[in-house]
Amino acid sequence: MSANSIFVEQLSKTYQVPEREAGFSAAVRSFFKRKYKDVKAVQHVNFTITQGEIVGFLGPNGAGKTTTLKMLSGLLHPTGGQASVLGFTPWELKPDYLRSMTLVMGQRNRLSWDIPASDSFLLNQAIYRIPDDVYKQTYKELDEMLELEPLMKKPVRNLSLGERMKCEIAVGLLHRPKVLFLDEPTIGLDITGQARIREFLREYNKRTGATILLTSHYMADVTALCERIIIIHQGQLKYDGGINDLSRKIAPFKLIGVRLTDADSHDLSGYGTQVQNEEDAEKRYIQVKAEDVTRITSRLLADLPIHDITITDPPIEDVIEQAFNQ
Amino acid sequence: MHTLKLLSSFLKVNIQMALAYRADTVVNILLNLMWLGWELLSLNIIFSNTTTLGGWGLGELISLLGVFRLVNTLMIALIWPNTEKFNQSIRDGSMDYTILQPVNSMFLVTFSRITVWRIWDLVLAIILIVVGINMAGDVTTPFNILTFMLLAITGTIIIYSLWIVLIALTFWFTKFDNNVTILQALMDSGRYPATVYPAWLRIIVTFIIPIAVATTIPLQALRGELVIGKILMYVAISFISFFVASKVWKLGLKRYSGASS
Repeated sequence: MSANSIFVEQLSKTYQVPEREAGFSAAVRSFFKRKYKDVKAVQHVNFTITQGEIVGFLGPNGAGKTTTLKMLSGLLHPTGGQASVLGFTPWELKPDYLRSMTLVMGQRNRLSWDIPASDSFLLNQAIYRIPDDVYKQTYKELDEMLELEPLMKKPVRNLSLGERMKCEIAVGLLHRPKVLFLDEPTIGLDITGQARIREFLREYNKRTGATILLTSHYMADVTALCERIIIIHQGQLKYDGGINDLSRKIAPFKLIGVRLTDADSHDLSGYGTQVQNEEDAEKRYIQVKAEDVTRITSRLLADLPIHDITITDPPIEDVIEQAFNQ
Repeated sequence: MHTLKLLSSFLKVNIQMALAYRADTVVNILLNLMWLGWELLSLNIIFSNTTTLGGWGLGELISLLGVFRLVNTLMIALIWPNTEKFNQSIRDGSMDYTILQPVNSMFLVTFSRITVWRIWDLVLAIILIVVGINMAGDVTTPFNILTFMLLAITGTIIIYSLWIVLIALTFWFTKFDNNVTILQALMDSGRYPATVYPAWLRIIVTFIIPIAVATTIPLQALRGELVIGKILMYVAISFISFFVASKVWKLGLKRYSGASS
């Protein structure tokens, strides 16, 4: 066995989706004769993830992220290719596999609404056959990291969204899974809530060495947690590598910000593309190719009355956006 | 043993959920008592006009009512709430979590909801059966009692298998909320002895839709009316239907994982 925790080769999934024109007669026709359209949700995706890595899985809505996560967790059979997680073929749904992984979906509930989370925790202890001493130890650790105790006694319906999410994540981790699939674990949470979940995931990964594959709409989740990202768009893998290399490979640009004495009277369009940046309203920004930075900076300094100049990477959000659009 | 432990965990969680809403619980108990009164009353009305029904006496009919209630209790305590939960979990996607638990998904779908207040109905049903048998003055041998229990179990398995097939159809149709209504319609036909129905309907009731297997048939065994060959046949049918049901369930799961997104 290698240290590969997740191995994906040529993984593909094509859905058949019923399709019809708008209107009443089309609806009637479609009742008798359905037309189907093939939707290629995931196409020939390859990657491997080693034990203990945290990988961010990015892509716009409908890119195939959730489909891939569902195939890796075992919910969906692929229409092509292979995958193995911890040496198991996920969709065989072997109990040993199910006991060593978890899938947490930010938009779905596992906890029973009407009873306190602690009761649902105990039910999961029985389902996963967790011995009492192991359960107590795991709970203690999760409580240390997530401060669960004050939330445990209230019925789940009385918890705030952030509190409930903490409990949802905790209940998914009671059986100490080695692989975590997290689909939008911070969705709907406020900034503090997101930060806490993030902090917890980092800490959990450090303590347990668990592999984490997460999707998120919040770039901050990804930039804070993941050194490596995988970008998927229209079912195809667009990028797989370090988050820091991303801008170099996809968007080899730098941002030059300048503060001028007489801000509005100078035309900067000759130096590069002017871009908006709300961080500092008094500064004006131009985007230039990475290899031109030195040349253009010295021209700027020679030509204009400059107070202050900064050279930065473009925000990762913009770079990823650009990657999607390529 | 793990199965029993799981069952008791489910039962505990369901008791906790039942206690969460007090008014609801009280109303449930009251409704249940009224329902029993209504059943006895309607039976009484039938018998103030006739002394036998399809050749069965009052005592025998009371035991039949008991068996019917026994099965009905299982319907109300398990089948209904779990169907409701199942239908909802298909639509809201929480079925995903059920599938990913390291426990047989058919087991989870069957027992995750238990209407606990209906469990005391079981006691009432058993009292009805015992009283009915005494009133009928039947001489029941231990063998008859054993075959009665055996056939009650096989009958339950057959109904259960039918239910599994009906809810598994939801995997194909996505929206099939009538599944429990169909089953209940079939159930109601088992309330009176199969001999009450005209011949053609009796064939449907006993064979094509085998609901009577859980009501009339066990009682016939108790009265010593069944030959051993027939008893074995029902046991065989229950094995076959359970086997078929779990196959259909597995296919349904596969279909679910092939079609959902």
